[in-house]
Amino acid sequence: MKTVKKMFWFIFMISCGLLFYSCGEGEKVADLESKVEQLTSENTTLQKDLTALKEKVGEGQVYKLGCSLAITGPTSDAGNPYSKGVEDYVQYVNDEKLLGDSKLVCFIKDDGYENEATKRNFEEFLDEGIVLYLNYSTGSTLALKNDFEEEKIPVIPASFHAGNLEGSHYIFLPIVSYSNQAISLSEYIVANHKKGTPQAAMFINPSAFGRGPVDDLKKAVAAGLKMDILEVVEHGQDLDNTALLKRLLEKKVQYVICHTVQPPVATLLKSAQALGVAAKTYGEPGKLTFLGLHYAGGPDLITLAGSAAEGYYWTTSYKLTSYKDEGADAQLALAKRYGRDEKTANSQNYTNGVQVAQIAVEAIRRAKAKGNEIDRQSLYEELLAMNGYDAYYPLTTVGPVTFSKDDQQGVDTLQLYRVEDGVFQAIGVPFRSEFVKKVK
Amino acid sequence: MIYFLQLVVSGTVVGSIYALSGLGFVLIYKSSRVLNMAHGQIIACGAFITFALTVWAGIPIYLSFIISMIITFFMAMSVERVFLRRLIGEPVISVIMVTIGLMSILDGLIYLTPFGTENFSFPEFLPKTPITMGGVSISWTQFVGVIITFMLIAGFSWFFKKSTLGISMRAVSDDQLASMSIGVSIPKVFGLAWAAAGFSAAAAGGIIGNITGLNFDTLVAFGIIVFPVVILGGLDSIFGAIVAGIIMGLIQQFAAGYLDGHWGLNGTANVLPYIILLIILLFKPHGLFGTHEIERV
Repeated sequence: MKTVKKMFWFIFMISCGLLFYSCGEGEKVADLESKVEQLTSENTTLQKDLTALKEKVGEGQVYKLGCSLAITGPTSDAGNPYSKGVEDYVQYVNDEKLLGDSKLVCFIKDDGYENEATKRNFEEFLDEGIVLYLNYSTGSTLALKNDFEEEKIPVIPASFHAGNLEGSHYIFLPIVSYSNQAISLSEYIVANHKKGTPQAAMFINPSAFGRGPVDDLKKAVAAGLKMDILEVVEHGQDLDNTALLKRLLEKKVQYVICHTVQPPVATLLKSAQALGVAAKTYGEPGKLTFLGLHYAGGPDLITLAGSAAEGYYWTTSYKLTSYKDEGADAQLALAKRYGRDEKTANSQNYTNGVQVAQIAVEAIRRAKAKGNEIDRQSLYEELLAMNGYDAYYPLTTVGPVTFSKDDQQGVDTLQLYRVEDGVFQAIGVPFRSEFVKKVK
Repeated sequence: MIYFLQLVVSGTVVGSIYALSGLGFVLIYKSSRVLNMAHGQIIACGAFITFALTVWAGIPIYLSFIISMIITFFMAMSVERVFLRRLIGEPVISVIMVTIGLMSILDGLIYLTPFGTENFSFPEFLPKTPITMGGVSISWTQFVGVIITFMLIAGFSWFFKKSTLGISMRAVSDDQLASMSIGVSIPKVFGLAWAAAGFSAAAAGGIIGNITGLNFDTLVAFGIIVFPVVILGGLDSIFGAIVAGIIMGLIQQFAAGYLDGHWGLNGTANVLPYIILLIILLFKPHGLFGTHEIERV
């Protein structure tokens, strides 16, 4: 017992001693802190000078990006060309020395569409010292949102889910959200429908990705968009959609808005063709007109659905190679230069990959031009400043990329396409939603 | 009434394709008591081989279809010879684990080809206008698919009932020791069961690929989708697979036609087959037509 008491007093005395010592040293600590601050600021200035000097003598720096996506597994038909787009553009930047003598490295890793693998990849990229991260799926973007906030790293995902932006400062959608796309498409339906209120149904993926725009579209309808949404259908692995299509026709549905990946849409269109219920002209009475958001269309849908895809409407912010302009030419030339096949070269997912890499490179280029060190913070600031006269025009999209603190959706305009003779042809000019503001 | 008939026709079409897809499971289980978890991958292989022969080699599609079935016949037989023959007599769980490994290997190999990540579709060789009778429609692809399915199922049924090899396979399924004692080669029977499963999987792959287009994930998923079908029918019953396939197809169509979209219900077409499966298994644990085994303890 005596030993315990002695021990207690011994520890007590030492603690008191340390406390008095630290109080006495308070002034010294404050001095030291101000010195450290001074040194840090000098160090930053020195680093800037060093960067400039290195540039002058031709010794470039290495900037690192990370990209985790589904190169294999579910949705790899989109992830694979996307990864090639990123890879090719990064290679192009280095080959053409678009960042001077500095080199761009992009670590691309397959996550097989699994969130755990994405998290692992992201952590490995952080260890490598990446300054910007390219993510992929809706699920993993939502799951890692807090990590992005903690790391204060700018992230550009392939998912355009509006929910990605809720409570997040560092996520930047490359184009408008799925919600925005769904509302824009619905506005088109309303504007071009001939008699009465258009009756619509949604055909969505049974996931966070698919459900994303449903509530926002309902809000737009509640806010005055004159359209009835009669049913929201979450599809399964269907071989045939006869019952669904018959049911929709019975309910007098005329428009089906698809928000899922291409294979289920292809099966739906094939079933509609088999039943003879697909509209031959827009809004044909007694028939169904099918329309889709970004991932529910593209040249691959025509590959899968064949002639059943004729007359399918689709919207995205990307230019297709059928668009025939300098953007399409540049994309085809890039794909050819790095030996990509025709299918990859014409894929909108390849365009998407190129565009996100373009945004990252543009942010780096602008930060470099200002003589800033390339780090997460400087790139974040450059992305936020991409608006007004400083908007970025990547050629691959139907409008400029604009970001700000209030708008973290890149390209705000959409282009409508329609399948004609086996090719998606642009209809009209790029447009933007009016109702999105009301929903906000 | 037309609506009801349409659902019956569609359900039968879908169900018969389920039956053909599930046939491979049954053939292997019937002879060796092994569940082949790589069945979906073999279905996909069959579809891709048919496509490659048709589009890349320029062989007429019907011929490609037959050649692909022959190729997967030998491919599945080789798989059995290389990976599974050594496991005869080992615990069933070990063999199932090998099939899971096989699934990963086939996945990896397919990802090395364009089929892993790209979408394709067969050239359209049938009329696009549907066959319509009394207001009930069916596409030519589905119609031809069903005809091929029933022909193959009839062929397999005849094979198991009448041919010496088929009878040997059934004998092995009933009692391996007794079969060996009368001179039946167990390894040969196992090899043949795998080969026949590969043959039927290629046929299923070709038909599904024609209906949905060729997407690796979609095709592989059918290996799992048909699982409740074969369990419902009885894992060792070909007739069970046919009946259960059609039951499942009809349930899905009726659920999608009469339940989904009403009373706030959605997705019942995907869930209801499993609920009915559970209910039936409560009363018939070996499935509708599965062998009820009694073991002495």
